Amino acid sequence: MKAITRLTLLVCLLTGFAFAGTLAPGAATPVEDLLHLPTLSGQFGGHLTIGQRSEPKTLNPVLAADSISREVIGRMQADLIEINRATQQTEPALAKSWKVSPDGRTFTLALRRGIRFSDGHPFDADDVVFSFMVYMDEAVDSPQRDLLIIDGKPLVVTKVDAYTVRFTLSRPYAAAERIFDGLAMLPKHLLEKSYREGKFTQAWALNVASSEIAGLGPFRLKQYVAGQQIVLERNPYYWKTDSENRRLPYLDELVFLFVGSEDAQVLRFEAGETDMISRLSSENYNLLSREKARTSSQLANLGPSLEYNFVVFNLNDLSGKNLGDVARKEKWFREVKFRQAISLAVDRESIVRLVFGTRGAPLWGNVGPGNKLWVNQAIPHPQRSLDQARSLLKSAGFSWNSSGQLLDSSQQTVEFTLIASSSNSQRMKMATLLQDDLAQLGMQVHVVPLEFRAVIDRVFQTFDYDAAIMALGGGDADPNPEMNVWMSSGTSHLWNLGEKQPASDWEREIDSLMQQQMVTLDYARRKQLYDRVQELIAQNSPFIFLATPNILTAADMRVGNFRPAVLDPYTLWNAEELYVRSGGLENAGVR
Amino acid sequence: MKYLLRRLLRAFSLLVGVSALCFVFTEMAPGNYFDEMRLNPQISPDTISALRAQYGLDQPLVIRYARWMKSAIHADFGYSMAYNMPVAPLLWGRAKNTLLLTTTAMLLTWLISVPIGVWSASRRGGLVDRIVTVVTSLLVSIPEIVIAFALLALVVRWRLLPIGGMTATVNGAALSTWGSVRDVAVHLVLPVFILVQLESAVIIRHVRASVGEVLSAEYVRSARGLGIGRARLLFRHVLPVAANPAISLFGLSLAGLISGSLLVEVICGWPGLGPLVLEATLSRDLYLVIGGIMFSAVFMVGGSFVADVLLLASDPRIRRGTSDAC
Amino acid sequence: MHAKTAVLISLLAGVHLLLLFAGCLSPYDPRTQNRDVPYAPPTRLHFVDNAGFHWRPFIYAWSPVEDGYAEDHSEAYPIHLFVRGDRYQFFGLWESNLHAFGVGAPAKALLLGTDGFGRDVFSRVLWGGQVSVAAGIAAAFIALLVGALVGTIAGFYGGWLDESLMGITELFLSLPWFYFLLGVRAFLPLHLSPVRAFFLLASVIGLIGWTRPARLVRGIVLSVRDRNHVAAARGFGASNFYLLRRHIIPEAFGALLTQSALLIPRYIAAEATLSFFGLGVSEPTPSWGNMLSVLQQYSVLVSYTWLLAPAAALFITSVIYALVADHLHSRLESRST
Repeated sequence: MKAITRLTLLVCLLTGFAFAGTLAPGAATPVEDLLHLPTLSGQFGGHLTIGQRSEPKTLNPVLAADSISREVIGRMQADLIEINRATQQTEPALAKSWKVSPDGRTFTLALRRGIRFSDGHPFDADDVVFSFMVYMDEAVDSPQRDLLIIDGKPLVVTKVDAYTVRFTLSRPYAAAERIFDGLAMLPKHLLEKSYREGKFTQAWALNVASSEIAGLGPFRLKQYVAGQQIVLERNPYYWKTDSENRRLPYLDELVFLFVGSEDAQVLRFEAGETDMISRLSSENYNLLSREKARTSSQLANLGPSLEYNFVVFNLNDLSGKNLGDVARKEKWFREVKFRQAISLAVDRESIVRLVFGTRGAPLWGNVGPGNKLWVNQAIPHPQRSLDQARSLLKSAGFSWNSSGQLLDSSQQTVEFTLIASSSNSQRMKMATLLQDDLAQLGMQVHVVPLEFRAVIDRVFQTFDYDAAIMALGGGDADPNPEMNVWMSSGTSHLWNLGEKQPASDWEREIDSLMQQQMVTLDYARRKQLYDRVQELIAQNSPFIFLATPNILTAADMRVGNFRPAVLDPYTLWNAEELYVRSGGLENAGVR
Repeated sequence: MKYLLRRLLRAFSLLVGVSALCFVFTEMAPGNYFDEMRLNPQISPDTISALRAQYGLDQPLVIRYARWMKSAIHADFGYSMAYNMPVAPLLWGRAKNTLLLTTTAMLLTWLISVPIGVWSASRRGGLVDRIVTVVTSLLVSIPEIVIAFALLALVVRWRLLPIGGMTATVNGAALSTWGSVRDVAVHLVLPVFILVQLESAVIIRHVRASVGEVLSAEYVRSARGLGIGRARLLFRHVLPVAANPAISLFGLSLAGLISGSLLVEVICGWPGLGPLVLEATLSRDLYLVIGGIMFSAVFMVGGSFVADVLLLASDPRIRRGTSDAC
Repeated sequence: MHAKTAVLISLLAGVHLLLLFAGCLSPYDPRTQNRDVPYAPPTRLHFVDNAGFHWRPFIYAWSPVEDGYAEDHSEAYPIHLFVRGDRYQFFGLWESNLHAFGVGAPAKALLLGTDGFGRDVFSRVLWGGQVSVAAGIAAAFIALLVGALVGTIAGFYGGWLDESLMGITELFLSLPWFYFLLGVRAFLPLHLSPVRAFFLLASVIGLIGWTRPARLVRGIVLSVRDRNHVAAARGFGASNFYLLRRHIIPEAFGALLTQSALLIPRYIAAEATLSFFGLGVSEPTPSWGNMLSVLQQYSVLVSYTWLLAPAAALFITSVIYALVADHLHSRLESRST
């Protein structure tokens, strides 16, 4: 009896231990430094399918430049410090803490200990040093390289010990931690060989074997079917845990379907073949809201985005180019009152209503209401007034002839072309509305749709255009990414590219303000400086700002922890937290 | 034999000519692949120029062409700037899917169109003929996109068929051979249906017109008068003569095996060459585009070759003509 | 005259007259935007109200509500014939402001609803037809002319001329016209006068589409060239030109007619793709092509079905052309036997 009881006890104990290891998926082993999310809960299992406009081009985080590739890569990789898309603030990720030196130039990051890549290999400071070496290598030409070059000098990365890395900047840089978001930490053990052989640009292409690619993100590559889908599976070594100390992610699989266009995304979503749509146009949002009950979906309208649509007038220095006609029109464009009059004549309310289906916001500056931290509430939002516009024009020397056409001071009719990208239907619509608005001032505007790259060629290269409708912004809320737009020497200073000197006093003032805010570490002081920049921009109207759309997303009702945000990637930024209710969705499911 | 050699030589020089002209054309268009990065204020123009130099885009046209030729001989056909992979394997993988779609559609089209066209022509003015005329006029007049979208909308409502892709998502493993054949077949239905509709409308009209022409010719009517049966009349006397424009069309169909389904593939999400080359064209992924064009040019050449051979074979009058000219 | 011929010819003439008099028949200027009624459905014609039946139909104005529009029954606007309205020009020859029908302001008789800017679709379809049908016919003409020329030369002379011409055809079909068109656009000035733009449009479409007719004609000419009656005529000393004119080309005519009926609608729709390059008809001028390009969005196609009006107009026009082509074809056959 006793022997049997003892044996039974032993067996129970042993099996108990075995079960304990497998009960909760990947119960945390005590040696790892995991990130515990105390408020998070959800159900394990199931898969989520999301449609994409086209297939990603590469799985290599260093080379990927397009948003679709980055959407997939971002779920497989992790960064040292991440920006929480909901709060727009930085959070510790692979670096569990960091210290900043008093002069703001040195960052010492403490890495999480004992965590491993998705193939089981341990992660430490060597991987960090290797990653930054690759990013900054001139032979690799990463699109993210320039982020790490401040004032012409690259970041200096030093390994302090196995779990501590120090970054030294050539000078203080405001919100420097934000740089780390989006810079994936690469596995040295997998990529070093191809890097040393100079073949890094061919590493981790789409047809990479799943055993040769690994990352620290919530998912890892399972399967790629050319032209159709890419399937990611749970990373069993992921370093975040939920409120009950269970290792994330909740989902077993994340599937990206390449569906071809936004319309196809909507169709597939309606049919139940996909479970989430990252971004919707207003018409599709209407369509899906009408079908909401039938398709049991949850729609989210997140308010204005961070993009801004605007009209830019060609104010470039055209000497040495054979563009006499454009030069003649530049005389009108250079007149501040001309631009201000146009800004007064634009019917922004109609743009929001007709182009964005009322789901948008009018803009009078580059920072819109969606950017709560940085928007200058004090800049004026004048109502549309054709009378004021006309009196401004009159005071600038313009007049009208008997048939109502606007004439300049030398009696020539004011006539110019407005180019926009033909593949962007929203900006084409804005062009048509603008054409009508300006016709009421007597201006003859010819709308010319051009292929996207033809527009870029004209605006950045040949300068052979009169006016163009373009859009910028949307990357991050912080002003630093916009430096190149507002600095007169900046490479995105669209209205006057390649200026050697600031062309006017206000541009000179903006230059110094932007330089100052870049090295100011205190948020309140930065806000003051940036407010003044916005004021100057609004007063001098180098861009005529139009409007910004709202971010609209949709997901199946059964997707839990669905918390879309205004910053890209709108729906998948918290992919590790997403789960599906009640046992999971069947694929190609009937809703 | 001489004819074959001549045709091969012509085919080869055509392909070389196409490749050279492609390079010239792509040079004409403003902009290049890396232009999109210019819109990102966080990427410097130096990086963009360095990337361009990496792919040799800053070299003069002739040098780029020479390098591409060398790469073609090595069966790479250049490098895709978007995918960072050689072009040929990228194309071939997707071309298989396109061929599956287009050959199925072409077979069905011709199997359906010729009988309907002939039937319609032989009963000119009858009810069948009227219906055929109206339906084909409908199909020909409505823009492709509208038809495709209308069908898609129907499929979504009634949920009869999967909407896109070639195979069911997830758990691609563990499908028996028969299971995976069925799976692909089900996904084929919609795009094939659209393609067949569009193509057969054109072919039916032509077949009907040319057969009708022949049927009302004197010698045919006299043959009927002599009592020759309908079937014999059709197959021995009418069809070979009426086949002429149909053969040219057949050649054009063959030629279009690679390129003809682009729109349908894009709309239905079929993973063929269409979406790949379309995106490459729009984003100026030059070598991928040129590779795709060369691929399609091979089919083009093959198609017209087959058509010419068939024309020779079917119409003795042409045979006599070419033997004179040879 | 054959009854059927008369009917068909008058149908064709009728359509063309409708389009020709677009200015008079359409109630409003096609470019006027009514921004408070975007995507409004067609106004309903009423004949009966509280007072009973009226011969003169009347309409109610649209007022925007939650998810669309509702009729505003507070006031009825009867439709009048021959009213004065927006000014328009008849091909630059004379100006007028007489319209076939209209209603009193501020209501609008929107027989086919409005588009995304509140512009009257009915007026736009009529005015748009002018450009579209003219461009389609011109382009088809160019394509068939060039195609027939190339095909005839290739088929007639045979030998190396045939081979090189067919080689050129194959070359032509393979080339990436996308980039060529972008190059053309970059080369031209940004703004083109309407006449120049029209010719550019027709030529571009036509010059890209000549290959199919060429191959068809070549095939036919090849077979006709050495027929007995042609050989006999040649034996009698007929010149090549005479042979072509009298015996060979008429044979190809049938195929050309069928092709024309197919090409015209296709080219009308092709104009929409050209606006991607900036070579199409530009805003605010309407054309069936650019009206149809809006329908490429699924949500629009499904929610605002009245925007399919240009597709219906295109369909009707092409059916009539097809019927005329068929009829002419059968008349030609019966005459040749």
